[in-house]
Amino acid sequence: MTWNSSGRLARIFIVAFTVAVLIYLIMPTFVIVPMSFSSKSYLSFPPPGWSLQWYQTMTERHDYPQAFWNSIKIGVPVALLSTTLGTLAALGVVRGRFFGARPMSAIVIAPLMLPQIILAIGLYPIMAKFGLAGSYPGVVIGHTVICIPLVFITVAASLKNYHPAYEYAAMTLGAGWWSTFWHVTFPMIRVGVIVGGILAFTFSFDELIIALFLTSPETRTLPRLLWEDLRQYVTPIIAAATTLVLCISFILFGAVALLQRRLSKASKS
Amino acid sequence: MTSRDPAMRQATGRIWSPARGYFVILSLPVIFLAVFFIWPLAGVILRSFGGDEGIFFQYLTVFERDSYLKVLGYTLQVATTVTVLCLLIAYPVAALVARLQGSWLQLAFALILVPFWTSTVIRTYAWMVLFQRKGVINDALLNFGVIDAPLRFMHNNIGVHIGMVHIMLPFMLLPLISAFRNIDPSYMRAAGVLGANPIRAFWHVYLPLSMPGVSAGVALVFITSLGFFITPALLGGAKNMMLAVLIEQQVTITVNWELASALASILLIVTACLYVVYDRVSRRAGGGGVLD
Repeated sequence: MTWNSSGRLARIFIVAFTVAVLIYLIMPTFVIVPMSFSSKSYLSFPPPGWSLQWYQTMTERHDYPQAFWNSIKIGVPVALLSTTLGTLAALGVVRGRFFGARPMSAIVIAPLMLPQIILAIGLYPIMAKFGLAGSYPGVVIGHTVICIPLVFITVAASLKNYHPAYEYAAMTLGAGWWSTFWHVTFPMIRVGVIVGGILAFTFSFDELIIALFLTSPETRTLPRLLWEDLRQYVTPIIAAATTLVLCISFILFGAVALLQRRLSKASKS
Repeated sequence: MTSRDPAMRQATGRIWSPARGYFVILSLPVIFLAVFFIWPLAGVILRSFGGDEGIFFQYLTVFERDSYLKVLGYTLQVATTVTVLCLLIAYPVAALVARLQGSWLQLAFALILVPFWTSTVIRTYAWMVLFQRKGVINDALLNFGVIDAPLRFMHNNIGVHIGMVHIMLPFMLLPLISAFRNIDPSYMRAAGVLGANPIRAFWHVYLPLSMPGVSAGVALVFITSLGFFITPALLGGAKNMMLAVLIEQQVTITVNWELASALASILLIVTACLYVVYDRVSRRAGGGGVLD
């Protein structure tokens, strides 16, 4: 009896605590959205009035549209390059049975675990030597290093979902390596590859530290511009740009959620 | 074995051997990572021993100067506090979420993953907005009469901790939830039937079974917190600096690449050791290492 009633109290407490924590997790991000529609130049909540002037100011300014397109121009090649390299790495590590597959996967995943500041100060002198510091290829390479593990993890997970016997069967029946990959392997890991690519784009779109070191004022990305503005003043223009970034992130998040649901349905049937 | 027979050698050379084929496939990403990952790291380590003052000069400076030692100590302290806070907050939440079903489970997952998908710069900016002198939190506290004068959240310890726990919490929640979902609820019922009270059952059954998730979450949060840059740089004060912020300042403001490289090498070695230890431990626990 006493255990039961205190157990119920504990349960109510845990539920209330969980709700509070989930609110803590998402609330701060969404406070920004109404502020971007504020009619005043200072940030107060709720905003004293509504207007679209900050979005207008943002599009009229030269630097925000430029930084936005830079982020796309960098994110798309990063996604393509890291998807290719990450998929190759996953195929080699998961399917290859050779000594050293384990340490190899440790090296492939390591860039994700390592603080980005170390890679940033390591890459900068090398890029400077090749004349790539501040250029698009420089930052694309930097982001790709960290995105390869993202693709590697998702693709390796989908490769482990089915047995290599399918590939052996195809090869036994006379398929070459390319047609085996294209007609057997790729259809089965396609969702993993696409999810990995979206993750890579999102990472690049949000990344700051590598971009701080490897971009120039001409190639700077949106996170870097936000960062530079944030250190000087906190205005609703930043809120407007942030809301735009949030929209893009959530569209991509929704796409991944849908893809993964399809994947789990497919693996059940 | 067949190398003496030329016909056989030619034949085996032509046969598509999967193992060898995949080794060739690996070479492309490996070369890329060797050039743009291993080489830069080696460069950082080499540069840390450079400079005109002698091989170990930078390291001696770091370990002799109180201001640098303070940064190292503060970094460890923040990473530890953030990890403990995340674990304490995430454990009950994950235990509850793991028992949800259907659309409630999906809703909870969405709420955990949304911040996961939001850029750290943006989430830190949100905290700056909330923490302002006339920000939302101070307004609310003043209105409800909790405080008489606005509190300072930014440029001190409080802000850094609230902001970092907020960013690290999903990294703790996700491994915990997946560990909890693997625990068969009948174990707890069995413990109850056998006469264990809930606390005893939790301590002897649930907690040990949840350890793979705990160790994964703790490792992930601690390692990431050690190298954290954005949140401490924006919310932290000049008095208390974290290691990654100091490294960035040494490069961009002081332009002391050798000292920055020494600091980065220390961070690199600590992170790498933790990563290796964690992988060993988690493989022994049977939860499968990060690499599996």
